[in-house]
Amino acid sequence: MNMCLTEKEKKTEHIKTNIKFFSAVGVGALIVLFFIFPYMQIIANTKNYILSGFDILTLPGVEIAGLDKTAIIKFSTYMKASVLLGAISPICGILFLIFKKFRFAGISFAICALTPLMSLINIANIKNQIIDLNISSNRLYIGFLWPFFLILIGGLICSVLSLWLRGGEKLAESVFFCFACVSVGSVLFVTLYMALSGIPAISEIGLFKFLFGTKWNPSKQVYGILPLILSSIFGAAGAIIVGVPIGILAAVFLSEVSSKKIASLIRPVVELLAGIPSVIYGFFGMLVIVPLIRNLFFDLTTLDGKPIIGDSLLAVIIVLAIMVLPTIISTAETSLRAVPISYREASLGLGATPTQTIFKVTVPAAKSGILSGVVLGVGRAIGETMAVIMVAGNIANMPELLGSVRLLTTGIAIDMAYSSGLFRQALFGIGLVLFVFIMIVNISFMLISKRGVQIDANS
Amino acid sequence: MQTVNSPKPSEDVNLLSLHKKRIKVSDIIWRILIYISIIITVGIFAIIILYIIINGINYISLDFFTKAPNDSLEGILPIIINTLYVEVVTLLIAVPIGIGSAIYLTQYVKQGKFVKIIRFCTETLAGIPSILFGLFGYTVFCIMFGLGSSIIAGCLTMVICVLPNIVRTTEETLLTVPKSYKDGALALGAGKFRVIMGIVLPCAMPGILTSIILAVGRIMGESAAFLLTIGTGTKMPKNLFDHIFASGRTLTLHLYYMSGNSSTKDSMNICFGVATILLIMVFILNCLAKLAAKGFRK
Repeated sequence: MNMCLTEKEKKTEHIKTNIKFFSAVGVGALIVLFFIFPYMQIIANTKNYILSGFDILTLPGVEIAGLDKTAIIKFSTYMKASVLLGAISPICGILFLIFKKFRFAGISFAICALTPLMSLINIANIKNQIIDLNISSNRLYIGFLWPFFLILIGGLICSVLSLWLRGGEKLAESVFFCFACVSVGSVLFVTLYMALSGIPAISEIGLFKFLFGTKWNPSKQVYGILPLILSSIFGAAGAIIVGVPIGILAAVFLSEVSSKKIASLIRPVVELLAGIPSVIYGFFGMLVIVPLIRNLFFDLTTLDGKPIIGDSLLAVIIVLAIMVLPTIISTAETSLRAVPISYREASLGLGATPTQTIFKVTVPAAKSGILSGVVLGVGRAIGETMAVIMVAGNIANMPELLGSVRLLTTGIAIDMAYSSGLFRQALFGIGLVLFVFIMIVNISFMLISKRGVQIDANS
Repeated sequence: MQTVNSPKPSEDVNLLSLHKKRIKVSDIIWRILIYISIIITVGIFAIIILYIIINGINYISLDFFTKAPNDSLEGILPIIINTLYVEVVTLLIAVPIGIGSAIYLTQYVKQGKFVKIIRFCTETLAGIPSILFGLFGYTVFCIMFGLGSSIIAGCLTMVICVLPNIVRTTEETLLTVPKSYKDGALALGAGKFRVIMGIVLPCAMPGILTSIILAVGRIMGESAAFLLTIGTGTKMPKNLFDHIFASGRTLTLHLYYMSGNSSTKDSMNICFGVATILLIMVFILNCLAKLAAKGFRK
């Protein structure tokens, strides 16, 4: 495209390139300078400590006076490395710019912009060290000063400018690439993190003891999650047993039996049912279903001889069944509609009644779609937290239809805020178990829906 | 006038009428079961909606929306503001990243095994329960990043939660843009970026809009991911920017906390009020999503 430029346009192009080049070099040099400016601020017991990047790198640590003792707070090598990287990477960037390696310059400035975030991760470490000096956390403030933010923003600007020197098209591609890296990276990071953080607890408690221990009592260091696993499985299974027949029959009504007008009136209802926040289901369950169960079974007691309070596995099952209903109806309806009309015509032509046609031809033909809807419902039922927390009673008993139960999800939600040590690790172990459950469900969903596509392609 | 030969679904009904005279007992039972289940479905819906709105509508007043909690009235203005903060901040981060990566994955990368693996990952992550995201966000954003229980920690958690959904739905709509449109623009000498901005994105706009509306609904209805990350604050924001580092519950969490709290006077009424507002918002979002999808079909 540059071939048809006039002399004048070439000149302005040249000037523009020069402006980009020199502003990138200038901002890069500024970032390097920020290395000796105040970077981090620690306020402990009204005393103010201000540190520059240079200080963090060279000092052995900061002497901080606690209430009764004074100690040197050390910076980890990770922190030092991130600060050093924040100074070296812009220098590299400038050198790359001078040698016209614009892509590498962009990368090194981007790394420079990341270093403040890297040092941010280390705050928890410093905080813990200072809290060990008996300084309460509300008299402690650790924060960053303006060079911190300027390094972040300046690094990004430099990176964009130096990539822009390669041309607008290339810049756009690089920016989109960065976005893709962020989202794919976060996906991979979450997956790995969930898997890795659950392993320590399981290895410490022992896989068998953890998975098949029947007592969950964190105050006595007993961590067996069998009651939680069984409650989750029974809850989801119950919801599926109640919800699937109703869901499939309702889908049959919408796609086969009803007139178009009525179906178009009911379909938005199902969509709305899918969009209602789970706390509202929980709230409804708490105020309507739980008292209903309590009043229906008031003269019974649980196996331990406790009276029925209504918060129970049965309430969980009913609430979950309501919640999986819209998922099952909409997937089943879609797959029933995808069955070719010739199937129905052939069946009717052979003398089958309309109802026979529905249950002997149409539903079996839509089998894989319906099944994938069911699997999706299982995933939703196992993963549901807030609606369940409000109706389950949350006592870690072995599951019993009218007794109070605690599920995998509610176990995490209730205990996370105040747990520590092995207890917290055990919660991550629960998280890992839940993660594995959901993975199995998701992968089987994908296999089933893929098979459905193949069948459709063959027919 | 309708032509006789066009295969309309309504012909199906005509076929059914041929068999009106043959009635089997099992057929009648199945029919009854079908009607019972659709009545159950619609009935549950009607009961939930009516129960909440009838109880909640009396408590909703202008003061309920526009006042902070004080002695005479438990207003929910700060909670509405918190919810708005969460929506805006989360979407500001998630939408550009989500759309950008969808563009990269569909327009720049060669469609091969690599993209398939990524698609598999995003699809599996889209189905992971939000409590696990909450667990992740609590340890990474609240503790490791030192953000504490704050709105920004909740937002970052929610970004990871909705990102796979936004990427997936945007990718799907971008792939439906006909290749001939792009080829035409490229042949006229437009650069790739120009083609994406001028042709691909405008064509896919309704689909992208739908995915954003779905994300808005998801953020509004979410509670498990916020339970561990966002804290319980109910204070009015003092400063526009600093508020994102303060703790602040959203509407759904307010409903959850209030339902377990019997000390505040008329906490149940507040619950019904909040639930009614949430239902109305869900209804509005559903309508908006429908409108956007309609635009898509045109």
